[in-house]
Amino acid sequence: MERRILITTDRDEIAPRFDLAMEVLILRLAEGGEIVARKSLLLAHPSADELCNLILERDMDAVVCGGIEEEYSHYLRWKRVEVFDGVIGSVAAVIDRLRTGTLNPGDIVGFSGAPA
Amino acid sequence: MNISLLDILDALPVGCIVLDPHRRVRTLNAAMESLLGYARDEVAGLPCRHVLRSRRCIQNCPHASDGAPSPGGRTDCLSRHRRIIPINLTPVRLTTDQGAVYLDIVEDLSPIHSLEARLNQTATEDSLVGRSPAMERILRLVPMVAGHSAPILITGETGTGKGRLAHAIHKASPRARQPFIRFSCGPMAEEILEAELFGKTAPAPQPGRFQQAQGGTLYLAEIESLPPSIQTRLLRFLDEGTIQPQGGHPMRVDVRLMASTMTDPATLAAAGRLCENLFHRLAAVRLDLPPLRERPEDVAFLLHYFREHFAQRLKKNISGFTPKALSMLHAHPFPGNVRELKNIMEFAVLVCPEGDVRPQHLPGYLLRQPQRRGRKE
Repeated sequence: MERRILITTDRDEIAPRFDLAMEVLILRLAEGGEIVARKSLLLAHPSADELCNLILERDMDAVVCGGIEEEYSHYLRWKRVEVFDGVIGSVAAVIDRLRTGTLNPGDIVGFSGAPA
Repeated sequence: MNISLLDILDALPVGCIVLDPHRRVRTLNAAMESLLGYARDEVAGLPCRHVLRSRRCIQNCPHASDGAPSPGGRTDCLSRHRRIIPINLTPVRLTTDQGAVYLDIVEDLSPIHSLEARLNQTATEDSLVGRSPAMERILRLVPMVAGHSAPILITGETGTGKGRLAHAIHKASPRARQPFIRFSCGPMAEEILEAELFGKTAPAPQPGRFQQAQGGTLYLAEIESLPPSIQTRLLRFLDEGTIQPQGGHPMRVDVRLMASTMTDPATLAAAGRLCENLFHRLAAVRLDLPPLRERPEDVAFLLHYFREHFAQRLKKNISGFTPKALSMLHAHPFPGNVRELKNIMEFAVLVCPEGDVRPQHLPGYLLRQPQRRGRKE
């Protein structure tokens, strides 16, 4: 089944904080891990509330982000959105992990010294 | 004398991150590990903005220019445990023979914020009530023991308000704005209990109650139910300030531990159900809540207190008690203590249409008791 995933980004890295993210990358991944669609969005201003609305409006299945406040993490999980939080690393390495289904919350990937 | 820079940094009460000129983390001191929830080895080599997650660093990094760092100031950071922490950030740049070393000095402003909150908040009358000398003595102790981080052992029968007392101490403490995590150590598989308390790293990282209580207070009810191996790990936490999640490395946590038991802890220790060392460490500050039958002065006060409380909540005009209802209530021994008295009053106010509470508004088991006592007498 196809999955819709939103990644909060800061240029080519995962944005350090969900509430301060200004860019997002929206991916549609086929069941086998192929990227069906990829779209970047620039946000008008950072806002955790608006990001949550965007995630729900676009019917995302999962979110990949850096640090996120407990209440937003709970809210998204309550809305049945899978939250991969605390992720540190490059967007490319994170997408590789998503495609192979090996990404976990708290993973550090793609930085020198960290496992790719 | 052979003291390393890290030894010195570890002794400081403020958090420090040592960075290389590319603003990657070289190391963290102990206070920073405790604040952020990351071990220094985990984050070495990572860009500091991903570790500190400070608003200031993300929006306008103070080390971005080649010259002197721009001034720091008040900002916030986001810990690994998903908590926003108010901080004061001071960037420092040192030039050594081997090149430049950047430092971020981070002062946790949570205590100041909690002090502000405490000053804006009236004391703890709402959460703990009692007019007897025994309760007044405990209420007088609350602000004194609240100011320290020593562990606390609370004893008392069921329903005496051990959890409320723990919460009142937390609310009066400098940790008031930080989490108060309550955990009942009832019967549970040891492995699950370990993960619940100390967290686990696989298959996905899951914070335990200690991590959730970071900066605040962890209250463990029924401490005697913990298996000996977990009691030993609690002892290690009290001695070293570190915990070890399942499958993870030891990590520092800044948590004040409070524990309670319904049984005399000395008896538990003698019976081997409570590790003696743990008992002595916890009992540094010990508060014994007397049962309601030993403080009859409180019964009348609490009856009126909860009558008013529930009348207000249920929007009813309940003026008092008939003499017979009052004598029945005074004759009851309240084995469930304050919790039972509170439940009786909630029932009575719910059933009583208006005016005085009469015997028929009291729970059925109370109506039967005077006869039994009468026969005894």
